[in-house]
Amino acid sequence: MNAVVQRARHPQLRDYIHSAVSGLLPFIQKGLVERVAVIFFNVDNIPIERFIFKLAVNQSYDSKVEEAALEFSLRSFLIKLPVSETLTKALPRDCRWEITAYFHSLPDASRSKDAEVWIPTDTKQWQTPPVISPIKSMTTEPLCLQLYLEHPSSSEPNS
Amino acid sequence: MSLNSSRSANSGERSKRSLNSTSSNPSNNSGKKRKTGNQKTLGMAWGSNSRSSSRSSFRNSPFSDFGSYMVEKNRKLQNQFDAGASSSSHSALSSGKPIFHGVSVFVDGFTIPSSQELRGYMMRHGGHFENYFSRHRVTHIICSNLPDSKIKNLRSFSGGLPVVKPTWVLDSVAANKLLSWIPYQLDQLANETRNQPKLSAFFALKSIPVFEDAVTHTTYPLVPETEDSVFKGGTSKDAVSSEGGQYLEYTRQSSGEIDDHQCENTNETIIEKPFSNDEKSSEIKMEEQSFSNQEEECSIKNELQSSPHRPSASVSSYYLDNARKESSSTTVVGCSNKGHSTLEDPNFVENYFKYSRLHFIGTWRNRYQKRFPRLSNEFKHTSSDLNASGVSQKNVIIHMDMDCFFVSVVIRNNPELQDKPVAVCHSNNPKGTAEISSANYPARDYGVKAGIFVRDAKALCPHLVIFPYNFEAYEEAVSCDEAFLEVMDSKEGDPELLASIIRKEIFETTGCTASAGIAGNLLMARLATRSAKPNGQCYIPVDKVDDYLHQLPIKALPGIGHVLEEKLRRRKVHTCGQLRMISKESLQRDFGTKTGDMLWNYCRGVDNRVVGVIQESKSIGAEVNWGVRFNDLKDSRHFLVNLCKEVTLRLKGCGVQGRTFTLKMKKRRKDAGEPAKYMGCGDCENLSHSMTVPLATDDVDVIQRIATQLFGFFHIDVKDIRGIGLQVSRLENADTAKQGHQRISIRSWLTSAPATNEELCKTSCLVRKERAVADGEKQSTDISLGQLSNDSKRPSLQMSPSSSNNEAPLNQVSELPALCDLDMGVLESLPPELLSEINDMYAGKLSDFIRKRKGKNENVSGTMCTTSYEIYEGAINNGKQLHCSIVPIRKTPVENKVEKTLDREIATENSLLQSSEVEKVKQYKIDEIQEVSVSGAVSLNVVDPASALEKSDLMPSSLSQVDISVLQQLPKEMWVDILEQLPVHRKPEHSSSAALDPLIANAQESLCFKHTENNSKSVDSVLGNNLWIGNPPQWVDKFKVSNCLLLNILAEMYYRSGSTGCLSSILQCTLSKFLLPLDASSDGWDETISSLCDLLKQYIKIKIESDIEEIYVCFRLLKRFTMKSKLFLEAYNVVFPYLQASAGENYGGSLQLSHAKE
Repeated sequence: MNAVVQRARHPQLRDYIHSAVSGLLPFIQKGLVERVAVIFFNVDNIPIERFIFKLAVNQSYDSKVEEAALEFSLRSFLIKLPVSETLTKALPRDCRWEITAYFHSLPDASRSKDAEVWIPTDTKQWQTPPVISPIKSMTTEPLCLQLYLEHPSSSEPNS
Repeated sequence: MSLNSSRSANSGERSKRSLNSTSSNPSNNSGKKRKTGNQKTLGMAWGSNSRSSSRSSFRNSPFSDFGSYMVEKNRKLQNQFDAGASSSSHSALSSGKPIFHGVSVFVDGFTIPSSQELRGYMMRHGGHFENYFSRHRVTHIICSNLPDSKIKNLRSFSGGLPVVKPTWVLDSVAANKLLSWIPYQLDQLANETRNQPKLSAFFALKSIPVFEDAVTHTTYPLVPETEDSVFKGGTSKDAVSSEGGQYLEYTRQSSGEIDDHQCENTNETIIEKPFSNDEKSSEIKMEEQSFSNQEEECSIKNELQSSPHRPSASVSSYYLDNARKESSSTTVVGCSNKGHSTLEDPNFVENYFKYSRLHFIGTWRNRYQKRFPRLSNEFKHTSSDLNASGVSQKNVIIHMDMDCFFVSVVIRNNPELQDKPVAVCHSNNPKGTAEISSANYPARDYGVKAGIFVRDAKALCPHLVIFPYNFEAYEEAVSCDEAFLEVMDSKEGDPELLASIIRKEIFETTGCTASAGIAGNLLMARLATRSAKPNGQCYIPVDKVDDYLHQLPIKALPGIGHVLEEKLRRRKVHTCGQLRMISKESLQRDFGTKTGDMLWNYCRGVDNRVVGVIQESKSIGAEVNWGVRFNDLKDSRHFLVNLCKEVTLRLKGCGVQGRTFTLKMKKRRKDAGEPAKYMGCGDCENLSHSMTVPLATDDVDVIQRIATQLFGFFHIDVKDIRGIGLQVSRLENADTAKQGHQRISIRSWLTSAPATNEELCKTSCLVRKERAVADGEKQSTDISLGQLSNDSKRPSLQMSPSSSNNEAPLNQVSELPALCDLDMGVLESLPPELLSEINDMYAGKLSDFIRKRKGKNENVSGTMCTTSYEIYEGAINNGKQLHCSIVPIRKTPVENKVEKTLDREIATENSLLQSSEVEKVKQYKIDEIQEVSVSGAVSLNVVDPASALEKSDLMPSSLSQVDISVLQQLPKEMWVDILEQLPVHRKPEHSSSAALDPLIANAQESLCFKHTENNSKSVDSVLGNNLWIGNPPQWVDKFKVSNCLLLNILAEMYYRSGSTGCLSSILQCTLSKFLLPLDASSDGWDETISSLCDLLKQYIKIKIESDIEEIYVCFRLLKRFTMKSKLFLEAYNVVFPYLQASAGENYGGSLQLSHAKE
C-alpha cells in the first residue's frame, strides 16, 4: 500500500487484532457486515469513544476492480486516520477496548466455522444518540467505506 | 525486530492509544507530548542534516541521550540491513560488482514504488538503505516530490547530494548497471540546476528549417470582395515569399477546379466570379511559369488588395510584420539560432504555429474556404443548374491525393533520388527522435513510414536518405495535398479519363505525381485512392463496393483509430464484412449514436457527405503540446497570453466569436520520465476546464482574462505542464453578434437559458433579428417597461420575463408569448391599463388565464402538504421563465390533478401559438408533465409511471438503450406498454435538435435513476434529488439566471471549482474568492434562502448515506459563512435540523460540527 501504518508490538495484541480482522473478512465479502466499531470503554465498561467503520460492499461488482483507484482511496484513508487525533479527547486511565462488528443479520454459527469465533456482544449502549465526527469517507467501486467517530452526547447521563 | 525496520522514521513513536490500551502504563501519561516533540526534532535534524545540530536540538528534550539512542538505532538498522542483504544476495547471482555498489539511498516521503520496495532493491543489488538521513552515509536522496520549503532551501535539505526520482533505481536494476542519475533528477529541481532540456536549448539545436507555415493567412478573412486596400503596399520580398506558398496552393487548387470545369464547359462561372481579369491571368501565368519573384509580388499585392479590412488592419499588418521577420530568419537555411523559447522568445506561440506542418494542414481548409466562399457557392450553384438541366444524374466523386507529397517535392529537385528510399524529417540526426514526416515508396518498402522516429527508420533502412524540409521548394508547392472533386457522370462519360487528365496536368505542372480514387461517394473515393497509390488511379463502381469492402480491414476506414479498432478487435471484428454483421442498434449502443451510425454506414460504403459543403467549424482553438516547459508562473502566464492572441486571431480570421472557452492541459504524469520524443509531451494526463460567458467574444483581453482564470483552476505545478490548448466553442457569427449588440441584455439572458430551449431561443432570436431594425426604437421601450415592472413586487426573478412580456404586444401577433410563459407576479403588478392592453393582445384570453391560473394554484396549494404556495408558484414561474422543462417543478409533491391541469394548459396554448412553435412548446410542456407525473407517481404511488413515459418524448430511440433491469422490475403490462411506445417515440426525438440531446440524455438518466430509486428506496429520498442531477447539476443553471448575486456567485463557483459537483469545493472556492459581504442585496431574500435550503437539503439527501465527510466539510464551511452573512446564517439555521435529523436516521447520532478545541 505504500503508506506508513502503526502496528501493535505486543504479540498477543497483534494476534487479537489480526484474527479479528481476518475473521471478519468472509463476512465482509458476503456483505453481512454493516459496521465495524473499535470501542473504547472506561473502567465501568461504558463506552467513551467509538471509531466506526461503515462498510458497503457492492456485491454485484465482480470483476474489473480498479486497483489504482481503490488503492488511492484506501491510502488516503490510512493517511487521514493518524491525523484524526485532534478529534479525540484524552482517554482516562485503565481503558480497554474491543472490536465489535455490526451485522445486518446474525450469521448462522452452525453453518460456517468462521462464525464460531464471534460471540454476540452485550456492550452497553448510550442512552442518547451520540455525537458524530466524520473522519474520512471513500466511495470507490466496489467498496464504500466511511470512518467516523462517535462520542457520547453532552446530555448523556454521566455515570 | 523485523518489525522495527519495516517502519520509517516514525517507528520510534507509539500512539497514546496503544500505550493506554495495551499496557496501561502509568508512567507514560505524558507520552503523547513527548512523542510529537520527538518527531518534530527528527524532522529538523533531517532538514539540517547534521548530526551535531540534531544532537544539540535534542538537548532540550527530556531524553538527553536521544542522540546516542539514534546512533544505536542506526547501527541496529544497519546490521539488520546487512543481514538481509547477505541472505538475499546469496540467492542472487552476484557476478562481479553489484549494481548499487557504493550507493546509499535515503527515501523521503511517498514514492512509487514504496520505500520498502526500494529498500529491497538496494538490498539485493549491493546498495545501502538509510532509514535516517546522514550526509556522511547517504549518497542519493530518493523522492517523488518535495515540499516547497525543501526546494527553496535545497542545499540545507540535501547537503548537495543528488535528489533523484525512484525510477532511477528501477531503471538501473532493469538495465543491470548503475545509470547516471542526472536524467532522473527530481523535476522540481531540474530546472534550477539546468539539467533538463529547455526551450532555449531546443531552438538552437534545431538547425533545420521547418517550412513556413503561413499562419498569417488565417488572419485574413480572405473574402475576395473588392474593398479598399488596407495595406500600403510595403510588403517586403520576404513576406511575399511566405505568401507565395499560400498563394500557390490556391492556384493549384483552382487549377484543379478549372480543369474540372473546363471539362464540363462551365469555366466561365469561375472566371467571372471572384477575381478580376488581370488577377486571374497573373495567376495562370504563375502556374505555368515557375514563380518569378516579380509575379509573386504582383499576385500577392493583388491578393492583399482583395483582402477586406474587416479584421482590423492593425492585426493583419502586425502579423505580416511577423511573417516577414520569420521568413527572413528561416530562408537562411539552418541558422535560426535566435532565442526561441517560451523564456526568451516572446513570440513562441506564433512561431510554433508557423513551423508546424500539422497545423498548416489543419488550417488549410479553413483558409481555402474563406478565400473562395463565392467560388464554392457559385460552383454549387452551377452544379445544381447542371443538375436541373442534366440528363442522367449519377455523380461520381474523384479523390485526388498527391503521392507522398513532401518527398515528391524533394525528389523533383533531386531526380537522381528517384528510386532510392527518401524521407523528409526536420532532423537528420540518426539517433534523433525526430519524426519522419513523409517517406517515399521505396522507403516504405523497408517499413519506414510517417510518424516513426529517425533512429528507428535508420535501423530499418540504413541507407535511407533523409532530407530536411526543403523550404524553398515548399514555398512553391506548399499545400494540402488532397482534394475531392464532384463530377457529373453524364457529361464527360468516363470519370476515369477525367481523372487521368487531371493527374497528367498535375504532373506536368508540379512535377509531382498524384493518385486518384473514383467512386460514388467521398468515403469510397478515398478508399479507392489507397488502392490506387502510388501514381495510379482506381475506380470503384457502385456495384463493386460490397466486394471491395468485404475484406477491407476496419482500420482502413477513416474515423477508426487505435482505440476504436482495439474495441472492435475485442469483439472479433477485423474486416468491414464482419462489421456488417453487427446491427446498427447494437453499434449505437456500444459506441454511441454518432460513432455507431458512422460505423454502420461506413462498413456498407455509405457516405452521405457532399463535396464542397462547408462545414461550419464548431470550435476554434490552438494547442501546443510540444516544447512546452515552464520555469515559473510568469512563463506560463506569458505563454498563455500569446496563446490567447493566437486564438483571437484565428477567431477573427474566421469571423466568429465564441462563448465557451476550454483550457486544456497536458500534465506530466508523476512517474513519467523524459519523453522519448525530444521535447515532446510524453506520458501526460489530460485535464481541462471550461467556462461559458454570456456574450460571445473575440476580444483578446477578455479571452486572456478567461484563460488566466481557467488556468488558475488547474492548481498544477507549471513545471509539470507539457501542453496547453485553448479552444473556443459555441461560435457565433461576429456580424450578427455585433448587430445584436443593442439587445445584449435580453440576448445574454436568452442564451444563458438552459440548453433545452436553446433552439427555441434561437428561433426567436432569428425572428427578432430579422425584425431588429424595425424593432429598433421599440427596444428601448421594451427595456424601460421591463425595468418598470421590475420595480414591482418581485424584482429579483422577474426581470427577463417581464421584458419579454412587454415585448410581446409590441411585436404583435406573430410573437405573442404563450400564455403560460407570462409571469403571474408581473401580471399582477402591472397597472390595470397595461393589463387590459395585454389582454386585448391575447384576445381576452389572458384574464381567463389569470383566473384559471389562480384557481389552479389554489387547488394545488390546497392539496399540498409541506411545500408552500410561494415555492410552487415560484417554481412554476421559474420553469416557464427559463422555458426549461426539467427545472424545479418536481420539488413539490404534486397530485394527478396538476397533470390534468397542465394538459388543459397545453390545449389553450396550442390554440394560441403559432404553428411553428407549437411543437416545441408542446414538447417541453410534455417534458414538464412527465417530470411532474413521475414525481407524482413516486410520492403518491398512484400514477402509473408508464403513463408518464407515454407522454414523454424522452423515450430512448431504440430498445437497446433501455435499461433492461428497470423494465424487468416493472409489472408486465406496464413494460409491454412501454415497448409499444418505442417506435412511436422515435420521431419526436429525431425532430429534436442536437442541442437537446444531452439534456434528453440527462433526463433519461434521471428517469432511470428515479425508477431504480423507486424500487429500492423510500419515497422520501426520491422526491428531492433533482437539483443535483445532470452535469452541470441543474441548480447551476437555475442559480446562474437568478437575480440574486449570491446565487450567481455560487453558480459561477461551480465552474471555477472545477465542475466536480462537490459542494464543499464550491464553497471553499467561494470562501477564498469573495471576501466582501455577501448579502449586499437584500431583495429576494426569502427566495434566495429557500433555494439555498433546497440545494443543501437535496445535497444532504444524496450524500448523507455515502459520504458523511463531504457533508461535514460543507457544513463546517457554511458555518464560516454564517459569520459573514446573515443570509447564510438563516439558511444554515433552516437546514441544520434537517441535517441532524438525517444524520440521526442514517447513523443514529447527531453530527458534531464544532469542537471544543476551536
